[in-house]
Amino acid sequence: MKVLIVDDSALSRMMIKSLILEKLPECETIEAASGDEALGIDIEQQPDLITIDINMPGMNSFDAAVQLHEKWPSAKMAVITANIQNSVRQKIQSLGIMFLAVVEKPVTEERMNKIIKAL
Amino acid sequence: MSISLTEFEKDALTEIFNIGMGRAANSLSQMANDEITLAVPSLAVVTYEEAVSILTKTAGEKVCSVTQRLIGDFNADAILIFPENNSLSIVRLMVGDAYPGDLTEMEEEALTEIGNIILNACFGTLINIIGGDFDISLPSARTGACVHILEIEGNKSGEIVMLLYIDFILKNRTIYGHVAILLEGDSMPNFIRKIQEFLATL
Repeated sequence: MKVLIVDDSALSRMMIKSLILEKLPECETIEAASGDEALGIDIEQQPDLITIDINMPGMNSFDAAVQLHEKWPSAKMAVITANIQNSVRQKIQSLGIMFLAVVEKPVTEERMNKIIKAL
Repeated sequence: MSISLTEFEKDALTEIFNIGMGRAANSLSQMANDEITLAVPSLAVVTYEEAVSILTKTAGEKVCSVTQRLIGDFNADAILIFPENNSLSIVRLMVGDAYPGDLTEMEEEALTEIGNIILNACFGTLINIIGGDFDISLPSARTGACVHILEIEGNKSGEIVMLLYIDFILKNRTIYGHVAILLEGDSMPNFIRKIQEFLATL
């Protein structure tokens, strides 16, 4: 199992990684601080799960999610974001990607369970 | 007194405040019935004198503010600051269509509520994440020169101020604001210790 964590905050990447490893200790994690950085990862790295933040500097996160889905179509995706407005949820739904979950930050054990149970 | 934060501590605090701003934006978007972007792009730790100078340069001589006091493991005054000439714009953007009367009459009340939502979301999130027990006072709005807004109770010379830069985007308009957190007396080391204790648990 390999998880790609896309978030500009080192704190959030650390919190997400720590909760994933608590639930799935054998899991391998890869981190990216932006959509561009995530898209630059070698295609051979093939993640099974991608978590993506919505508000990141640089590339628009919605575009990044679509391009990551095109790059690794079999990877399951989840959004972990502080921006939980209805308009944002609607944009996420309109992307044409089946997200496992849209989870509000800060990520907690309960919220991470929602993603892991949906895997 | 140590005023330095490591880059990781700064990143952690910026992210925590961004999570709080995300919550505030969600509440405010329901008030405005429109999407709102509310983000903290950066954070700086400065002296009181530097804070006055920065805020006077960026927000102007006259500002409008909403202040709430935090009392607990560390004591601080949290002040939301916007340029004075933007305060009515914010109120108009937020409630303009829904309010039939003269907006200037309810400007202070509306700003106090907007400040209450933003400051409570920020500090509620901070406290929920790093832990601790705090009382948060009721909000109070004031308009005036930066130096007087920051000088809440007597001379604050030498105190440490954490300055958050805020981007508030609503209906394609960007309004830049700040949250100044005045950490009282020896509160800065206590604050840094709380952050370090939290980061050590990860």
